[in-house]
Amino acid sequence: MITIDGTTGEGGGQVLRTSLALSLVTGSPFTIERIRGGRAKPGLMRQHLACVRAAAWVGAAVVEGDELGSSALVFRPTASRGGETTIRIGSAGSCNLVVQTVLPALLYADQPSDVRIEGGTHNPLAPSFEYLDQAFLPLIRRMGADVTLELVRPGFAPAGGGEVRLRARPSRLTPLSLPDATELGDVRVDAIVSSVPGNVGFRETERIRRRLGIPVEHTRTRTVAADGPGNCVWVTARTPALTECFVGYGDRGRRAEAVADEVADAYEQWRRFGPVGPHLADQLMLPLALAGGGAFTTGPLTMHSETNQWTIERFLPVRFANEPAAGGRVKVTVGPAIPE
Amino acid sequence: MARPAVVYGQLGTTLDAGRGPKRWERWRPTVGLCAQPDWQVHRLELLVPPRYRDVAAQVVADVQQISPETVVRQHTLDLDDPWDFESVYGALADFFAGCTFDPEREDTYVHITTGTHVSQISLFLLAESRRVPARLIQTGTGPDPVRGLLRIIDLDLSRYDRIAKHFAHERVLATSFLKDGIATRNAAFNALIERIEHVAVRSPDPVLLLGPTGAGKSRLAERMYALLRARRLVEGAFVALNCATVRGDGASSALFGHVKGAFTGAVSERAGLLRSGHGGVVFLDELDALGLDEQAMLLRALEEHRFLPVGSDREVDSKFRLIAGSNADLAAEAAAGRFREDLLARIDTWTFRLPALADRREDIAPNLDFEVARFADAAGRRVTMNHEARARFLLFAEDPSTPWSRNFRDLGAAVRRMGTLADGGRITTREVDEEVARLRSHWGAGAPDADAAVLAEVRGPGAEPLDPFEAVQLAYVVRTCRAHPTLAAAGRALFAVSRARRTSTNDGDRLRKYLAGYGLDFAAVTGRPRV
Repeated sequence: MITIDGTTGEGGGQVLRTSLALSLVTGSPFTIERIRGGRAKPGLMRQHLACVRAAAWVGAAVVEGDELGSSALVFRPTASRGGETTIRIGSAGSCNLVVQTVLPALLYADQPSDVRIEGGTHNPLAPSFEYLDQAFLPLIRRMGADVTLELVRPGFAPAGGGEVRLRARPSRLTPLSLPDATELGDVRVDAIVSSVPGNVGFRETERIRRRLGIPVEHTRTRTVAADGPGNCVWVTARTPALTECFVGYGDRGRRAEAVADEVADAYEQWRRFGPVGPHLADQLMLPLALAGGGAFTTGPLTMHSETNQWTIERFLPVRFANEPAAGGRVKVTVGPAIPE
Repeated sequence: MARPAVVYGQLGTTLDAGRGPKRWERWRPTVGLCAQPDWQVHRLELLVPPRYRDVAAQVVADVQQISPETVVRQHTLDLDDPWDFESVYGALADFFAGCTFDPEREDTYVHITTGTHVSQISLFLLAESRRVPARLIQTGTGPDPVRGLLRIIDLDLSRYDRIAKHFAHERVLATSFLKDGIATRNAAFNALIERIEHVAVRSPDPVLLLGPTGAGKSRLAERMYALLRARRLVEGAFVALNCATVRGDGASSALFGHVKGAFTGAVSERAGLLRSGHGGVVFLDELDALGLDEQAMLLRALEEHRFLPVGSDREVDSKFRLIAGSNADLAAEAAAGRFREDLLARIDTWTFRLPALADRREDIAPNLDFEVARFADAAGRRVTMNHEARARFLLFAEDPSTPWSRNFRDLGAAVRRMGTLADGGRITTREVDEEVARLRSHWGAGAPDADAAVLAEVRGPGAEPLDPFEAVQLAYVVRTCRAHPTLAAAGRALFAVSRARRTSTNDGDRLRKYLAGYGLDFAAVTGRPRV
């Protein structure tokens, strides 16, 4: 049995979600202790429990400790099944974190899946729908994944009420090595708003457009019909190898310009350290490891990424190599572990 | 396994209401209750006023969205006037009486944030009295507009260390207060005081203090009044009467008052103690001395809070707390027809028997110190007792043969006398020795057995009987010898006066000769080895 210390690295929910995803794909049971031990309120919160329940459905798993506040969990998958279901997440938890947890397993399931997930589609501290749709999913499709994600209804934290629909068919992932190519193609900026003063989205896109020199025709602000107030702004940038996406969320009492600056800052960081940004680096590691190999170049590794590598190496016979690359960057390579 | 949480709560007709997407920008208690990231409501029992079904419908839909795990059940609750305490409490009590709780399997909570303050109070009372076996939940606004903040309030006060300490401290203060701050050591007495403190602050019923004369009944009654007054449980005055000091019309008039000309000598109106004690405390000592007619009137005054002043044809009202004192066996008095059974039944719910001072000799030392300090206070000058004098007085006072027949009255009087006689406010062994002799002669006939016992000890059972005059003197000499380390010291104490006048120089020798006259010596009377 694999034992994971929940306080490893940044000590949050990511180590739990990565472990669930890996356990489902490999069929290896695991125990995680001191769940979210690095957080002020440790233990399972509702959104983490939603991931555990969703994973348990996919893997027909036997679970111990799946209750609120629990600091330890034992997870034993018995199958890797697909199919249809609806998952509802309480307290407007992020749908996209559930997508990340179950998607790898659905690609390795014995049948096609059609999973509806209700909750928040645009939550701070979680990937937005647009990030998954435009940055992450195209890359794993290129690796061979047959997957679509549809935004049925946006739902902003804290009201929630959104829905995404994840459809996946059994697939075979192949290794992917991303070239270190940073020539810039199209750059766009988009904002969506729901029930917030009319010009918030416009002020955001305008600020970003001016800072980054984006043509006006690549700028758009839309009003969406969500069941609560919310606002999200993002920049999408094409390079020869991939599309990156940088997201910011409006919040009560936060100026539109501050949100815009955060997104523009992230974009400029990426221009220094690309072609893979810190979040995408984080997300790519698991599919590459499942495919058995791959490489990409990114900025200095975040603690999130290091935690992810450590967790993946507990479940899969792979090793990550992080080599220095030009401009203070890191070349991440994953390959088969050489038996010692 | 975590137990499911079931929450009962009223729909907040204002706070919970809201339409359109903007409603998510405002904290709504019932929705926030169900939106907690780390706590989850399994079943929400929502009490809805009949005219607010549409508000309820939106709230229920929002709860299901934010908390898909929650089952919501709606109940119609019709409060005619949500600000009328009686009807709100009644309606809520009726509603909860019809609910079944499953404390074995579920944790029940009551959300008190919604509804009027009147319903908050009612819900608190229902939970506090355990009619609803629930903990209370209070919610409020917080950094997250939807979730707000949630607090679970556990009414089991014993779980709150600081509150429990506070109460314990208050209790210690209260019992200490009742004891005049005297750190008494007698466990039975301390337990009694603690019980009296309990009853005094919790029950408005009459209290009956039994115990021998001078055991401290009236002092305790005064302190009970002072405690009630400090706690704002009474507003009126403290009035006291020793029933043995008034007779007949005098007693009636003293207690119930009279109108002008009610009897010879009633030249003006008199309110009477019971009326003066309205809203306060009436202490009637030696209640058994009260005549049967007055007893009947007192009973009526206790039960109906009204009575007839002497000579008046109009009743007056007075509500007072009664503390009664007696040193008689009231049950026997009642059996003999000298005390009314019905009055006894009315006043003996809380009966406390104060022990005689002789039964708690370990408390004499702290009481001695207290009396000395009190005397000094009253005299307005410094009065102290030197170490030797205090030790000698206590040796006598704590001796099992010292009767203390009039208890604190004797002790207090002894201290007053010693303090008055002491030169420069310093009580020495001289004053103590004099006082001991004085007390003995006071008790005199009251304590022949004690003297006889001492004499029998030293002279043997078959000894020649002595004249009472001699017996008292010899017994006193024996005790003094026992209280001193040497013959010379005992001699100095016994012949202190003549010694001061220098008419005697060898007190030890004088004492030896006195003892020899009875065939005794210092070793024989003290039981110490000969040196």
